[in-house]
Amino acid sequence: MAVIDRDAIKADLIRILTELREDWEFSGEVTEKTGIFGDLEFESIDAVALGSAIEDHYNQQLPFAEFLTKAGERQAKDIYVGDLVNFLHENVGKR
Amino acid sequence: MSKRAVIFGLDGATFTVLDHLIQHGALPTFQRVFGGGTRGILESSIPPLTPPAWTSLVTGRTPANHGIFNFLQYESKDSSFVRMVTSRAIRTETLWSMVNRHGVRACALNFVVHNPAPKIDGCCIPGWVPWRWVKTQSHPKGIIDTLRRTIPGFDVKEMAMNFSEEEKAISGTFHEDYEQWIDLHIRREKQWFSAWKHCLEHEPAGLYAIVFDGVDKLQHLCWPFLDPAYAPRQRDEKYERVRERCWDYFRLVDDFLRQTLEIVGPETHVFIASDHGFTGTHEILYINNWLEKQGYLTWAEGTPIEEDESHELGAVRPIQRRGFNFVHTRAYASFASCNGVFIPIRGERGREGVAPEDYRRVRDQLADDLLHKCAHPETREPLVTRVWTREQAFPGAEGNANAPDLTLELRDKGNVSVLRASTWYKPRQQIMGCHHPDGIFGAIGPGIRAGTQAERLRLIDIAPTVLYALGLPIPSDLEGRVATGVFSQEYRDANPVRSGEPTQPVNARDAGTGGEGDSGGEEDPQVLMRLKALGYIE
Repeated sequence: MAVIDRDAIKADLIRILTELREDWEFSGEVTEKTGIFGDLEFESIDAVALGSAIEDHYNQQLPFAEFLTKAGERQAKDIYVGDLVNFLHENVGKR
Repeated sequence: MSKRAVIFGLDGATFTVLDHLIQHGALPTFQRVFGGGTRGILESSIPPLTPPAWTSLVTGRTPANHGIFNFLQYESKDSSFVRMVTSRAIRTETLWSMVNRHGVRACALNFVVHNPAPKIDGCCIPGWVPWRWVKTQSHPKGIIDTLRRTIPGFDVKEMAMNFSEEEKAISGTFHEDYEQWIDLHIRREKQWFSAWKHCLEHEPAGLYAIVFDGVDKLQHLCWPFLDPAYAPRQRDEKYERVRERCWDYFRLVDDFLRQTLEIVGPETHVFIASDHGFTGTHEILYINNWLEKQGYLTWAEGTPIEEDESHELGAVRPIQRRGFNFVHTRAYASFASCNGVFIPIRGERGREGVAPEDYRRVRDQLADDLLHKCAHPETREPLVTRVWTREQAFPGAEGNANAPDLTLELRDKGNVSVLRASTWYKPRQQIMGCHHPDGIFGAIGPGIRAGTQAERLRLIDIAPTVLYALGLPIPSDLEGRVATGVFSQEYRDANPVRSGEPTQPVNARDAGTGGEGDSGGEEDPQVLMRLKALGYIE
């Protein structure tokens, strides 16, 4: 799989999250600064499901659990869409 | 008219409960099916655990081949990070795909390990999906919107597994909230049934399948109210109230079956199946403490002793691998749900561990110790009644480290606890429900022998039996066999079993996840904490 450029990944991710948004209360615009826990009100299990949806989209297994765990170890306040875009840019297309 | 079949799945259903309720007239439809058709024991997978068990049922293959051993698996062969299994991890073809290849559409609702939904010809709404994701993880796109438009009161949030609500069950206060817990599952099942009824009436298909998983959830928490063997001599008003509510749940499921039979008609084969049975567990074996006592395990410095309040379910909480000192650990258990013990092998699974040349000796010694030294502290009766090696439990999975090195069966069929406790053995304060290997099977429809006791079947027999009922050839590589004994001789003569081409390979995109990874690694604590909300990780 070819490496996909960052803007395309960002567009994919925002589309996935925007589709989800129809199902709950969040009505704001999804941007790189949107926090998946603070703004989108994800539970941790939702973050896991997001990883599954992204993998399905790119038809590729990604080290998503590692990404989440390391975010936890950093005691990050949230995981922002921009963090996810960077993670995907580093990993999508790499086998 | 083309043939049709239905799989009416009941997660964890057991004749211990169903027969008791039938005797009291609470389940007239089940009574009619078992009396007018056939019934028997359906043997679960090893261990009797929901993900491998249902996957065996829908693939006709054993875990070593379909690749699902637990709720969790390692991210990759070399990774120390674990993830929840998804449909991507199933390595073999499912029934839905098998029937599709013959032009038969399929509808599958609430099956575990089905997210994201496979792109079958038909529809699939996966189970075990957080509510926000049900819409986008279902197939075809738009199915959930259709249900919203056409079913008054349809509510995905109520139908899906709500992990926050499930967590209440292990909050330590659920003893006060039995009825709330039961009502939650009654509401969930009504939502699933509304989707099911819609599919039966509006989605043309040859194969319809659903799992009602509240049976399992109720039985885990409410077992003393359901198994007459545990009924108190003096029943107080509260006991009667909770028991009645439990029975209401089963009456509801009975009515779902009645309506299903009415909709599909007598020309449809209807199969009732559970992924495992149930029984009561009355003691806790803290397996890692026992391994420590025997010199197999050393805890990492600072690993807390957990005298958890909700130890009835705490017994099944997973533990992070950083809790062990792998320099001095030769065996450990991370996930209670699979009753599995892992042996870290130096070089293969991390920097420390057992030398490869010592592996067999250590494993044999440990199996022997488990069977002969793991005994009740007072009566000296063995607590471990059976130990399977990886090759015995999962033949063909020798190289798959997601399969435990040893799998245990406890004398009360319960799950070990993997937590660090102050003791290695403790009686439970209250009887809880746990999985038993004997599930249920029932069938009614054309050619099904009436009022018969079926031979003992295995989960892997269901897929070929359903294919046979649909008049389709049986793929030559299915491990199960057609339960011909449940069909009359006349039917079998007119409909001989046909063997067909092998199953088609699937795009097993996660199939390489066979490694235990670095023994110094960790799981995602947030995810694992959520898993404890699932009952026994379910």
